[in-house]
Amino acid sequence: MKKKKILIVIPAYNEEESILKVYQSIVSYNEKNKTNYDVLVINDGSTDQTEQILLDHHITYVTLVHNLGIGGAVQTGYKYAYEHGYDIAIQFDGDGQHNIEFVSALVEPIVSGKANFVIGSRFIDKSMSKFQSTKARQIGIRLISLMMKLVTHKRIYDTTSGMRASDTQIIKEFAHNYPLEYPEPITTTEILKKGYQVMEVPVAMNERKGGISSIRSWKNAYYMINVLLSILMVGVRRYK
Amino acid sequence: MTWTLRISLLLFAIVLGVVTTIVLRKGRIPIKYSLLWYFCSVIIVLVAIIPFAMDFFADLLGFATISNLIIGILITLLLFLTMALTIITSGQKKKITLLIQEVSMLKNEVHKK
Repeated sequence: MKKKKILIVIPAYNEEESILKVYQSIVSYNEKNKTNYDVLVINDGSTDQTEQILLDHHITYVTLVHNLGIGGAVQTGYKYAYEHGYDIAIQFDGDGQHNIEFVSALVEPIVSGKANFVIGSRFIDKSMSKFQSTKARQIGIRLISLMMKLVTHKRIYDTTSGMRASDTQIIKEFAHNYPLEYPEPITTTEILKKGYQVMEVPVAMNERKGGISSIRSWKNAYYMINVLLSILMVGVRRYK
Repeated sequence: MTWTLRISLLLFAIVLGVVTTIVLRKGRIPIKYSLLWYFCSVIIVLVAIIPFAMDFFADLLGFATISNLIIGILITLLLFLTMALTIITSGQKKKITLLIQEVSMLKNEVHKK
């Protein structure tokens, strides 16, 4: 069987402390396991040394000429994957939260044709991931999960996980249309609604090493209201 | 409707018309957006010179006084205008995002060579 072309997309906004470690972990994993994961860093208009680090270490990257936020940055990665003919694209955080060891578990269901879209989940097998996020966030994630169940009749546990793998069909969908706000739960709801196969696999995540979460307004009820309404909107909208 | 309110309305309509003309002549807004403001200005003039029409509408819609009706109309107009602007800016945000992405990817390609 022809080897799949796999791209790891890492959105990075001011991640000078962690981006190199994340990149090196992927490179050494590739060497050890004879895998062929390509890396693309989307530098989302960072104001720190992120771009210099990428340049110095010959890491493939695209610097956005202006900060777009997580949604716009990740979509750039999907566009790149689409234009360069990748079979699988993987979203991977640049802050050290995600562990490269688990990427193969995300890739496997796509290669074997069991799923179009795979989410790395902290909550399927709780014993795996020591880091489970704060109580408030967990309640939030559960509420989002409930709303998604209501809209799609499918249960997704880790609704805000930023570790996800897509096949060519999903790459094409995302390249053409990706929400700028609350992208994770909304894209998952959309592709479930469109009838694609979505799967969750258990992964362990670490606490972030540097940078700040893109979801800063978690404490804010405003975020929850927006996400829940957005998911409801996806439910009301018509897809063919 | 009192005489003073009618005069105030006329003055307001004139100011609105003059401001629109100035902005238009400086090329700050296109003709198609200026039409809306001229239209508003004309409506206000009509209200000022045909007061009995306003009496009728105030009665019909349950406003206690004509001045309340005028404020009500203006607020409604502003709300619709804000809605229209929200739609315009949202569309522009989408386009700007697309532009930033494409330009950035292109810049990346060019620099590689």
